[in-house]
Amino acid sequence: MAEKYAVIGKSVPKIDGRVKVTGQAKYTGDLKFPNMLVGKILTSPYAHAKILNIDTAEAEKLPGVKAIITHKDVPTLKYGISPARWDESIFCSDKVRFVGDKVAAVAALDEETVYKALKLIKVDYEVLPAVFDPEEAIKEGAPQIHDEYPRNINTEIHQNFGDVEKAFKEAYHVRTDRFEGNRTYQCPIEPHSAISIWEGNKLTVYSSTQSPHYFQYYIAREFGLPMGDVRVIKTFVGGGFGGKLEPTGLEFAGAALSKLTGRPVKMFYDRHEMFAHNRGRHKQIMEITTGVDKNGKLLGVYANFMMDGGAYTSLGIATAYYAGAMLPLTYEFDNFKFDMIRAYTNLPACGAQRGHGAPQPRYAFECHLDNVATDLGMDPIQLRLVNARQPNTVTPNDFAVNSCELTECIEKAKEVSGWAEKKGQMGKGRGIGIGVGSFVSGAGYPIYRTNLPHASAIIKVHEDGTAATLYTMATDIGQGSDTVLCQMAAEAMGFKYENMKIVSADTETTPHDFGAYASRQTLMSGSAVKQAGEEVKKQLLEMAAQMMEVAPGDLDCRDSIVFSLSDPEKTKPFGEVAREFFVRQGPLVGKGSYAPPKLGGTFKGAAVGTSPAYSFAAQISEVEIDEETGEIDVKEVWDIHDCGQVINPSLLHAQVHGALFMGMGESIWEQVLFDDQGRILNPNLGEYRLPTAMDMPKITSELVESYEPAGPWGVKEVGEGATIPTMGCYANAIYDAMGIRVNSLPLSYEKVWRALKEKRESEAK
Amino acid sequence: MYLPDFEYHMPASIQEACALLAKSGPAAQVLAGGTDLLNKMKHGLVAPQILISLKQLEQLSGIEYVAGKGVVIGARVTHNAICNAKLLQDKYLSVCEAAHHMANNQIRNVGTIGGNIANAVPSADLPPILIALGASITLAGANGEREMALEDFFTGPGKTKIAPDEIITQIIIPDGSFTGSTYIKFGLRRSGALAVVGVAVAVEMDGNVCKKARIALGAVAPVPMRATQAEAAITGQTVSDDLLEAVGVCAAKECKPISDMRGSAEYRRDMVRVFTKRALRKAIDEGHV
Amino acid sequence: MQALVDNNGITRYLVTIKINGDEYTRVVKANTLMVNFIRDELDLTGTKKGCELGDCGSCTVLMDGKPVNSCVVLAVEADGHEITTIEGLATNENLDKLQESFVDHAAVQCGYCTPGMIMSAKALLTKNPHPTEPEVREAIAGNLCRCTGYVNIVKAILAAANE
Repeated sequence: MAEKYAVIGKSVPKIDGRVKVTGQAKYTGDLKFPNMLVGKILTSPYAHAKILNIDTAEAEKLPGVKAIITHKDVPTLKYGISPARWDESIFCSDKVRFVGDKVAAVAALDEETVYKALKLIKVDYEVLPAVFDPEEAIKEGAPQIHDEYPRNINTEIHQNFGDVEKAFKEAYHVRTDRFEGNRTYQCPIEPHSAISIWEGNKLTVYSSTQSPHYFQYYIAREFGLPMGDVRVIKTFVGGGFGGKLEPTGLEFAGAALSKLTGRPVKMFYDRHEMFAHNRGRHKQIMEITTGVDKNGKLLGVYANFMMDGGAYTSLGIATAYYAGAMLPLTYEFDNFKFDMIRAYTNLPACGAQRGHGAPQPRYAFECHLDNVATDLGMDPIQLRLVNARQPNTVTPNDFAVNSCELTECIEKAKEVSGWAEKKGQMGKGRGIGIGVGSFVSGAGYPIYRTNLPHASAIIKVHEDGTAATLYTMATDIGQGSDTVLCQMAAEAMGFKYENMKIVSADTETTPHDFGAYASRQTLMSGSAVKQAGEEVKKQLLEMAAQMMEVAPGDLDCRDSIVFSLSDPEKTKPFGEVAREFFVRQGPLVGKGSYAPPKLGGTFKGAAVGTSPAYSFAAQISEVEIDEETGEIDVKEVWDIHDCGQVINPSLLHAQVHGALFMGMGESIWEQVLFDDQGRILNPNLGEYRLPTAMDMPKITSELVESYEPAGPWGVKEVGEGATIPTMGCYANAIYDAMGIRVNSLPLSYEKVWRALKEKRESEAK
Repeated sequence: MYLPDFEYHMPASIQEACALLAKSGPAAQVLAGGTDLLNKMKHGLVAPQILISLKQLEQLSGIEYVAGKGVVIGARVTHNAICNAKLLQDKYLSVCEAAHHMANNQIRNVGTIGGNIANAVPSADLPPILIALGASITLAGANGEREMALEDFFTGPGKTKIAPDEIITQIIIPDGSFTGSTYIKFGLRRSGALAVVGVAVAVEMDGNVCKKARIALGAVAPVPMRATQAEAAITGQTVSDDLLEAVGVCAAKECKPISDMRGSAEYRRDMVRVFTKRALRKAIDEGHV
Repeated sequence: MQALVDNNGITRYLVTIKINGDEYTRVVKANTLMVNFIRDELDLTGTKKGCELGDCGSCTVLMDGKPVNSCVVLAVEADGHEITTIEGLATNENLDKLQESFVDHAAVQCGYCTPGMIMSAKALLTKNPHPTEPEVREAIAGNLCRCTGYVNIVKAILAAANE
C-alpha cells in the first residue's frame, strides 16, 4: 500500500526558494517604473502639539521636488483598521499626537532630494503637554489626546463568566500577582514600501502587505473609489509578523502624490520610521488573581489589565479583547472575569504582533501559575496537567474546542527535556521551566463586518495539461503559504507539486482572501484550495471515464496519473486527459471558497478569539544564570506543538523556530525605549536587540499526533503559537535557577541582577 | 537615510593629507573605515564638507615589530586584520580578542583601529586594552609628528587632543614586562552590541605576587579611564580571590558611570567590580599577554 | 580617479568597480553609498537595504573577498576594487552549493536577509571550508534574520560545508 498522501506531509522545497537565494525575487523597494518619483512623509518631532502653520515654499523651490502635500490636499476621511475606531488621518490637520505623526509628504526625483526637501518644510507647532503612561493617561486632568475619548480611554472591556467571587470564596488558596509586558516591535527585516500608480481613475498599488484585501478595501474607501478600481499587488514581502496588516501613510500619501503628479510614486520607510509607525506589541499591565482547590484545580480567574495603546487604535481593540479571551482557552476553569482598559498615550500606536494580545498575558499567567504551584508545593507540570484543556470542550467565553492534545504536549515536553531528572537538581545557577499556550487557527470573523467568504481559490489546468496554476489572494509573507497551498492543490487534484504554479495576492487576478494574520491560511485558504482541487479532479475523472470507457467512480488520480481502482494497470496520464478536456469542453477550472461556521457567544466582544480550531503547545527551557551579572544563557528549548496534521514538515518546524525566536527576543532583549519627550531611544537594530545567531540556543521542535476535524486534511495553526509560551517559560526557568521572579518583560540581565541583589539583601536581614 | 553632499579627497601622502586638513579647517574630516563617521553623517550629527580618505595611504595599513619601539600598528588596519595578524596573536593575543568582540564581522572588515580611537566613543573596545598595555599613538600634522600616550589622548565623549590638521598614523604597543593581559567586554548581546562595561587589565606576575598592574575601564566614564586605586590595591600583593574581589570593589568605587538605556550607573558600577575581578583572574591564570 | 564639477557645483567622480567579474564605470557623487550604487545604478537589487547603518547585514557584499556592509561603504572608496553580490554566485544554470543548501534545508522564509546571509556564509566557507557550528554562528552574527531563529540557516551552511 502506498503512502496515504502523495504530496502533503512531505517537505517539498519552497516554491519561491530559488528566486530568493539568487536575489531575483523582487520586493516592492526593488521595483522601478518609468518616470517614477520617490516620496516620503514628514513627521512630527513633538509628542503632542498643535499645528499652527505649515510652510512648504522653501521646499518647493528645491530642484527635483515635484509635489508637496499636506492635509489640505488629501481626503480628510478618518481611517483605521478597526471599524469601531477610525481615528487616523492621512495627515494631521489640527494637532500631532506622537513623535512620528504624519504632517506632510514630498515627491521628488530621487531619494536624496526627498530627504532634503523634508528638512525645508517649516512647521510651526504649539507644544502641548503629553502623557506617556497609560495609568497617568486615564487620570482626570491628563492631557486629552482625542476629543472624542474622555480620560483617553480607547476601549474598556468588562466581561464576567460564571461567578469569580464565589469561586474565590470557596477556594483553598487565592493568590494575586502583577506583571508588566513592554513595547516590542515586529522588526521585519524589509522596511515597508509602496508604489502607487494612477491610470485615469484606476489606482494600482504595489505594496509590502500582509493583506491585499484590507489594503484595497481601505484605500478604495479613503479615495471614494469602487474596489474594482483599486488594484493592490503584493510583491515578495520581507516579513510582516502583524506589522504590515494595515495600510499606512505610504499607501495613502503615495496615492495622493501619484494622482497629483501623474507619475508612479515609490514611498518607503527607513528603519527609524518603521519604529515610529510601529503597530508592535502593546505595553500591558496585568494583575491576575486565581483561586484553586487543594489539588490545584483552577476554580476562578480574575484578569485586571491595562494597555498602553499609543496615539491611535490600529488593531488594538482586538488586541485588548484577545488579551483576556485566550486565557480560559489553555486551561479549563468555569469562572472568569476580565477587565481591561486600553488607554491612548502620546506614543506610537500599537497593534498586532505575532500572537496578537496573547503572549504577555500568557507570560503573566504562566508565572502566576508557577507561583501558585510553589504555594501548593506542587510540581508545575502536575499543576498544568490537572488543568489542561481537553478535546471537545467549550470555554466559559464560548469557544468550542475540537481537537486538543495539550496534555500529550505537556507529557512529551516533560519527557524529551528530561524534566524529571533536571527539575530542582541542576545545581547552582541552572534551571528549567515550562510554559504552555494556545492559539487560534484563523479568526472566526473578519476585521470589518462583511459576509464575504474568508477564503477562495481558483485552479486552472493549462491547456496542454503540463501545469496547473493556483490563483488565490492568500498572502505569502515568507511563511510559505504559496508552497503549502500548492501542495494542497496538487494533492486534491491528484497532480504533481513540481508542476504547480501560483499567482497569489493580487486583487485583480486572484479571488478574495483576507490575507496573512491570525494564523488562518493553512486552515481557511487551504479549505478553499482543497475544494477547488477536488472540483478539478472530479471533472478530470469524468473526462477520463469517457476516454477510458470505465465508470467515473472506478477512477482516481494521484501523482498526475489517472488509474482504475478495479484495475490499477489501466492508467492515463493527467496531462493527456486534461488536454482532451480542453479540446472538448474548454478550460479545466476548479473553484472553492471557505467560510467558517457561525462561532461564539452573544456577549459584547464574543467574536474575538473565536476560531474553527485551536492549537496548543508546551515549551520547556533550560537556562544558566550568571549570579553576579544577571546574564541569562539559554541552553536549550523544546517546543511540542499540537498543530493537527502537517502539510510540509520542514516549513512547519521552521515556523516554530521563528515564532520561538521572536518570543525569545521579547523575553530577554527586546524593548522599544522612549525618552521623557516620547522620542524613541533605540529606533535601530543596534540598540533594539534582536537575538543574533550567536544568541540562539539549541531548539527542538516536535509534534504530537493530532487531527483537527475543522481543517482540510486535519490541519490547524502553527505560525504564532510558539511565541506565546516562551516568555513565561524563560521566567519560570530563571525562577527555578535562582529563586527570583522578574515581574516585567523583558527579563533583562539588569533586572535579574537587581532581583538577585534584592534577594540577597532581604536574606541578610 | 542619506549622506549629505561632501567633497572627497584621496591624498597620496600623509603630508598631503595634513596639508589639506590644515587648509580646510573644521570643514574637513578624516575618513578611515567610515563605519562610525558615515553613520553620524546620516544622522546629521556631523556635516563635514570635505572627507579626506586614507585609502591611498598604504603605509598606514601594516603591523610590524620595530626593535626598540615595540609593535607598531598602522591606523588604517581593520579590526579583522588585527584579529588575524600572526604578530599580534603571538605577542598580544588580548588585543586580537578585543578586536574580535567588536560589532560584527562585516563591520570588522571595514572599521579601523585609528577610527576606533579617533571617534573617542566611551564604550570603544580597543582603547582600554591598548591603554592597559601602555600604548601610545603617533599623530602626524602639517608641522610634523608627535607621540602621545593613548590614555592622555581622550578629553571627553567624542573629544580628543587631536589638532585640526592631525591624523593618527600609528599605534605603538611598547615592549613590556607584562605576563598576562585581557579585555572583557560585557554587552547585552553576543554580537553587535556596545559594551555596557569593558575592563582591560595587564599584569606582571612573579609567582603569585602581582608586581605590576594596569587596569583600564571602558563605558563607565566620559573617557576610557585607568583605575589607579585598583591598580595600587593589587600591586605588590599576593593574589587571592579575596584580594581580587577587593580590587574589583576599588575599581567600582573610582569609576564614573552614567545611566543610559543600556544600563543604570548602579549596575555598571557593580559590573566593573565583577569584571575587574574576572579580568584579573583571567590574565593571571591564562598567562598570555 | 577623475572628478568633474556639475552645473550645480557638485563634484562627481568617475569610478570603475569590478562587480561579479564585470567592470562597470559610472559617474557618482561622493555621497553615493555602495548599496545604492549596486541597486540603483546597476539594478542588482538582490543586495537589500534593511537598516542603512551596518546593523542588519542585508546589504552584505564581498569586497575583495571579504564580507562588508555596502551601506557603510562609499562607492568612491570601492573604486578599483572587486565586489561580489548575490547575483554573482550562481554560474549559468548552476546554483552555488550554499544556495542549493538554503533551499534544501528550508533556510529561506521571507528571503530578505537571505542574499546577505549567503554572502557572509560564502566568505566563511572560502576561508574556512569546514567550519564548526560556533564558527558558522559567528560568521553570520552580523546578519539578522527575523523569520528562522537561524536554526535552518546554520544547518544549511554546515551541510554545504560538509558536501
